[in-house]
Amino acid sequence: MSFLTPLFLLGLAALAVPILIHLTQRERKSVVEFPSLMFLRKIPYESVQRRRIRDWLLLALRLAAIALIVTAFARPFLRGSDLAAAPGGARDIVVLLDRSYSMGYGEAWARAQSAAADALSSTTPADRISVVLFADTAEVALRSTPDRSRAIAEIDAATPGPGSTKYGPALKLAGSLLAESLLPRKEVILVSDFQRGGWQPDDTLRMPGGTTVTTAVVDGGQAASLALTPVALLRTREQGQPERVAVTAGVLNRTATAANDVPINLEIDGRIVQDLKISVAPSASASISFSPLTITAPNTRAVVRLGTAGGAAVDGLTRDNTFNFVLTPSAPVPVMAVSAGSADATLYLSRALAIGEAPHFNASMQSPEALAGDALNRARVIFLNDIAIGDAVATRLVTFVEGGGGLLMALGQRASWPSSRAAWLPASIGPTVDRTRGAAARLSGMDYGHAIFEPFRAPRSGDFSTARFYSYRGLTAAKDASVLARFDTGEPALVERTMGRGRVIVYASTLDLNWNDLALKPMFLPFVHQLGRHLSGFKEQPAWLTIGQVLDVDAAEVAAGATSGSAARAAAGRAILTPGGQRRDLAIPAATAGGTTPAAALELTEQGFYEIRSAGREAGPTIVAASNVNITESNLDRMDPNELVASVTGNGPAGSTSGQDVLPDEAQELAQRVWWYLLFAGILLLIAETVIAHRYSRVRT
Amino acid sequence: MATSSMPGAKFVDPVVLSRIGNLELIAKTVVDGLINGTHRSPFFGASVDFAEHRGYVAGDDIRRVDWRVYARTDKYYIKEFEADSNANFSVLLDVSKSMGFGTRISKLDYAKTLAACLSYLANAQRDRVGLITFDSEVIDHVPASAKHLDVVLHTLDRAKPARPGELVGPLRKLAEHFGRRGIIVVISDFYAEPEEIFHAVGPIVHRGNDVVLFHVMDPQEIDFSFTEASSFEDMESGDQMPIVPTKLAADYKRLVEAHIETLSKKAAQQPVDYMLLNTDMPLDFALFRFLSMRQRLARTR
Repeated sequence: MSFLTPLFLLGLAALAVPILIHLTQRERKSVVEFPSLMFLRKIPYESVQRRRIRDWLLLALRLAAIALIVTAFARPFLRGSDLAAAPGGARDIVVLLDRSYSMGYGEAWARAQSAAADALSSTTPADRISVVLFADTAEVALRSTPDRSRAIAEIDAATPGPGSTKYGPALKLAGSLLAESLLPRKEVILVSDFQRGGWQPDDTLRMPGGTTVTTAVVDGGQAASLALTPVALLRTREQGQPERVAVTAGVLNRTATAANDVPINLEIDGRIVQDLKISVAPSASASISFSPLTITAPNTRAVVRLGTAGGAAVDGLTRDNTFNFVLTPSAPVPVMAVSAGSADATLYLSRALAIGEAPHFNASMQSPEALAGDALNRARVIFLNDIAIGDAVATRLVTFVEGGGGLLMALGQRASWPSSRAAWLPASIGPTVDRTRGAAARLSGMDYGHAIFEPFRAPRSGDFSTARFYSYRGLTAAKDASVLARFDTGEPALVERTMGRGRVIVYASTLDLNWNDLALKPMFLPFVHQLGRHLSGFKEQPAWLTIGQVLDVDAAEVAAGATSGSAARAAAGRAILTPGGQRRDLAIPAATAGGTTPAAALELTEQGFYEIRSAGREAGPTIVAASNVNITESNLDRMDPNELVASVTGNGPAGSTSGQDVLPDEAQELAQRVWWYLLFAGILLLIAETVIAHRYSRVRT
Repeated sequence: MATSSMPGAKFVDPVVLSRIGNLELIAKTVVDGLINGTHRSPFFGASVDFAEHRGYVAGDDIRRVDWRVYARTDKYYIKEFEADSNANFSVLLDVSKSMGFGTRISKLDYAKTLAACLSYLANAQRDRVGLITFDSEVIDHVPASAKHLDVVLHTLDRAKPARPGELVGPLRKLAEHFGRRGIIVVISDFYAEPEEIFHAVGPIVHRGNDVVLFHVMDPQEIDFSFTEASSFEDMESGDQMPIVPTKLAADYKRLVEAHIETLSKKAAQQPVDYMLLNTDMPLDFALFRFLSMRQRLARTR
């Protein structure tokens, strides 16, 4: 307890005033000598006694009122460190219960629940209990309740999840809960198996002042044994043949004894297709390859499993004995190349697109008339090579791009864009710049930080300055557009802007040999691939993810062969089927102020396969994502709990912080609000004193 | 001198008497006036009464032969009396602090005057007079003697209320002292329970002494005429009590009357003579009333 204005406490001297008045009145009262009080004592003198008590009551009321008012003016407030320094008092307890999947090992979870319940056995009704369940993330299961039975019920109801241990988020959450507390004692009870892999020392992570950190180490009782490492997929494609995939699985043995002839099998869509045995030396790893498979259907669910299906587990930690992944034939990105001239105009472009493997482009060469037809809806990317665009086609292209498509507009002599939509393009198209006389123009000033030029960043990874540009269209980049490359004159050569869910790039020259010789340079092929990859939003999708990672649903749909139209429709609604069998809708992210729409994302929290379906009849492709536990969690090497406690308390292994605590604003306001109650109580006492004194005077007269 | 307001009588105001300062003169004034009024004292009759006749034996004083009986019977008879000599007359005076209380005259001054008058009267009757002053202990002791009137009066003059008093202890001690039967006059304000008082007086009575209790009280002790709320301090213990007299007067008076009533009843049972003396009452009037009461009682006993 401290005071903001302690000088006001001098006013406590006013307490002497009522006492002096009282004493003065007593002295003035006459004393009558009487021979004996023998008879007077025999009279019940209740009235006499009551009068004295009433006087004392009035005196007490006056003294209390003055003391309260003076103390209120001194503005008392409670400081966190003062509270913490108090030897007793109520506790605010935060129970951090580790629910990572390693806690499911043997009897560890039952012991953890028992340890947490035991830690709460000494609580009193004045204490407040919060329960936080954590793995790689932390969530408050129960917040600040005095009911111990509720807290224990919450602990009993919890089960270990598939997450991996991370102490940082849990301790930060506990710190924020305790920072809001006004109780004099703060305590964190950390119940965990204290895996070394879960702790990354963090100097910024500190508990509030006066917090005591108590640890309860839980031991599963058995040593860890085998764990599956991520599989390796080797895809092979022969001409005219479907894609084949060879699966190689790795097994890690963390025990000091060898594991011999451990069954390992590969399941495809729930059916065991190959059953092998593997032997692993002590504290070593081994790999085993399954025979190549032909994958015809997309989203084929594959599982590598240690042990026989339905049989006994090979060790006590079962979650890391299963590895899920998805096998999908590579889906080509549909590309529409439009050229007005002869086939030569698109020769280099079509050849370049035909070579791509990751992604594989399914390029179709079209005439400008095709832009008015349905072909537009089947494409993901459109390359326009020197095409004059009318209003109607411009409208369709705008819809195409904003629905998620990619558009490259290569400008030649004929190229034009309706002036009514001029603002939509990232650059306004100017007149032709003729560099046939004198030195040809060359590209310089590439933005190597951009995805398109990123592969050319390293030295000797391609020199665009070797290409000569004899003519190009002058471009004036819009304010919100990005200039990705410039000519040596400083004029923009490649300008990009994101429009809605898609992208549009304006290229100042042609994609054939009419105005430049870039198509003859080695950089042309990777440059075209990078354009296609970037414009389509293609990202190579991993066959599996780890719990806690986020799945980019849009990118996954593109990888699964989604077109611009289907992507736009899919944005209207997607349903998710979780590994646990729950069905829910995927939240559609709100558009930002700039008009861009963030990609839809799904955080994986369960082990198994997630299925994402687009709603509607013309729905996009179904996506299946495999989710696996973090392999580091299967390493049960234990850390010294005191190391963690010392780090978060900054006070050595004693486990209690002593630094000055800074209360949040609301708590500070609450701590200083005491004066208001004191003043109110003082005024109430004065009113009571007035009423009682008035009654006394009436009785005496 | 002032006269009392009592109709048909002329008595000496005790306040006036107290101004004289000479106890012998006061006693003479009071007693002479009293005797002149009654011509004969009935006070000592009871102690010199004839007891019996017995036959003369050799050695008897021939002056004690009852010649009237000899004339009738022609035999010598010796006349024997109840007391064959003059009686001892002792005054037991309470000089505790409570006796110092008084509105016009203190109870002790009144008691001292009373004791002086009685001693003077007894001495005039040729009785031996003595005095014992006490509070919680015996303070002064003047043995009874025919020549001790001056000492008694002098001792009375010196008596001051100084210490808290206690009635029972000193009276018990003195009971053993009175080996020879006599007249014992106890003058006190009797602030003790009646049972305790008569328990203390009992041994004296049982030894054949004629005991007279004079209960001296101030008018304010009787009618409790205080008006202002004050803190009342016990003169003996020093204890204080906040008192609102208007609220307690009725209860107080009732208790005092009950106390006096109890003392009167128990005195009649012992038998002991008891008389309440209000210090407002003229002393000679009080003596007159008392002697009248003694005479009346002597007839009935």
